[in-house]
Amino acid sequence: MSETLNDYLERVAGRPDGGLRFIDRSERARWVGWAEIRDQARVVCGGLQAVGVRRGDRIALVFPTGRDFFAAFFGTLLAGAVVVPLYPPVRLGRLREYLHRTARMLTATSAVLVLTDPRVKRILGEAVALSRPRLGCCTLDDLPRADGELVPVEPSDLALVQFSSGTTVEPKPVALTHRGIVAQTEILNGFFPDTAEVRQSCVSWLPLYHDMGLIGCVFPALSREAELTLIGPELFVARPALWLRAISRYRGTISPAPNFAYGLCTHRIADEEMDGVDLTCWQTALNGAEPVAPAVLRAFVERFRRWGFSPAALTPVYGLSEAALAVTFSDVRGPFRCLRFDREALAGTGTAREVADGREIVSVGRPVPGFRLSIRDEAGREQPAGRVGRVWIQGPSLMEGYLDDPQATIRAVRDGWLDTGDLGFLHTSELFLTGRAKDVVILRGRNYAPDEIERAVDGLPGARTGCAVAASWLPEGAEGEVLTLFVEAARGATDDELAVLPELCREAVLGAVGLAVDRVEVLAPGTLPRTSSGKLRRQEALRLYLAGELAPPEAVTPLRMAKAMARSGLAFARLRWSGPGDGTRE
Amino acid sequence: MREDAILAGIADVARRHLDWQGPLTAEMRLVEDLRLDSIRLLTLAAEVENRFRVLLDEADEAAIETVGDLVAIVRRKLGV
Repeated sequence: MSETLNDYLERVAGRPDGGLRFIDRSERARWVGWAEIRDQARVVCGGLQAVGVRRGDRIALVFPTGRDFFAAFFGTLLAGAVVVPLYPPVRLGRLREYLHRTARMLTATSAVLVLTDPRVKRILGEAVALSRPRLGCCTLDDLPRADGELVPVEPSDLALVQFSSGTTVEPKPVALTHRGIVAQTEILNGFFPDTAEVRQSCVSWLPLYHDMGLIGCVFPALSREAELTLIGPELFVARPALWLRAISRYRGTISPAPNFAYGLCTHRIADEEMDGVDLTCWQTALNGAEPVAPAVLRAFVERFRRWGFSPAALTPVYGLSEAALAVTFSDVRGPFRCLRFDREALAGTGTAREVADGREIVSVGRPVPGFRLSIRDEAGREQPAGRVGRVWIQGPSLMEGYLDDPQATIRAVRDGWLDTGDLGFLHTSELFLTGRAKDVVILRGRNYAPDEIERAVDGLPGARTGCAVAASWLPEGAEGEVLTLFVEAARGATDDELAVLPELCREAVLGAVGLAVDRVEVLAPGTLPRTSSGKLRRQEALRLYLAGELAPPEAVTPLRMAKAMARSGLAFARLRWSGPGDGTRE
Repeated sequence: MREDAILAGIADVARRHLDWQGPLTAEMRLVEDLRLDSIRLLTLAAEVENRFRVLLDEADEAAIETVGDLVAIVRRKLGV
């Protein structure tokens, strides 16, 4: 058994089987065997050493999905260095925000070098200038041709840094060791054994800087010398049908995606794009990285059954970058499980009581082998089954900690247990997630720090500075989380200002972070709950809002908002979500 | 291809793939006026490439703020 990712790579080198298949926008495939990746990685390794990269150095990788990413990735590992995959620029605009964000991530990880693609390099200049990596920025072709030496690495060495959330305000780089990633890889492999009839084959459009795309897809394929079919995320978003067509054409057995992707397919794929598609091969459609909405799963089954999609394939899972990836898996062979729980009991006393017409929650299953779950109250005391609490986890692939941030690490990990900040309960030994205690906005499989969104509205006319809260949550029946922004009005704001404030907020958030706000609630000054030190309490604000109790401390005159808003909030929360076209995103 | 034909093509992409209703003019800004979030910007870029059979690259895209900017880039790529 391999102990490091480098061992995996050495092992596949001598075998002809397996490799990567890249699909382009004309659906042509380009095949690169694992052995070829290994050879290219050796070349990169030599070049890195020639420019001065040393063991343990952190190298940032900014590549679109393609062969060069892999050459750079494994070249970095062979040189004994640590990979920091960052995302390439967003297409069409918001470049300034992208460059500043990239600069912050480079600084937060102390990257010594940025490796990138020639096209991206032309625009990365400012990010590199701001963060000043010691060895600068170069493409693979810029690296000198030199014989390198493979640097031996230990299982306890860092291999990879991935960001959990908050890339702008408070970047949280998660540090993962070879041992942790190998442990996670073997866990995943255990779920998908090759048999005499079926050789497992994965198809993914997920970004390679994302845990589910990299750890969930690449290393299992590498470790089993299997094939992996890859589609660029930008191609998937533009033409979701490419994903399903690739699964059909290359007989994919496993393909993961966040909840939103299943919704996107249901809404955007036309019948004619599915001509000749046969999805009977797709045994496991993992669904993770954001809360799973039952409505989306049902609609997907309904839509794609005709083309052979099996409802039993849908497999909701739960994981987080701090655990390398997977923490729980639901039954990979059976249909997903969805139960209803009494709303009042859940919201009031935090008790899970199954009822016929309650709130529907999807089970994310049981801990994967080697992982343990514990539901704790605020004081860290373990709770019995059926009680809502914070989800604590322990397992062999937990992060070493947040990179270079011992204080954040101590806050998150205690005695080997990680407090995920997610809320949920155990029922029939399965985990059901109900919400979050941590301040993270999760949209389309990506985590955002709420500060990034809140900051965008500071200084708008009529808004009280520093008094905005962004939160996302999954309403009943909705297809995904909705983003709500609570903004306190400035004292003395005019009616005219308040009338246009919601629009201005939407525009500002769209411009700054590229997110569409689903709902803006303008509140009277002083309405948002704060800690004794004056910090805004986001989750408490959301809780009060959903309970219809978000109100100013005392009656504040002519702003007619607060109470009416709170009431509409309650109505909103209780309302059965009526689906797209009703103020929701697509 | 003339400028107005390119603009009309982009308007068609916006209608088909971004549910844009109403007129589309060169002065309109992609983020502020068309209200395109990241996913929609991606969709627009990919569909414009498909329609005009051009490849936009990151350096071109960086400068695009308005519909008119996009028209100009497509025009340059088409060599007209």
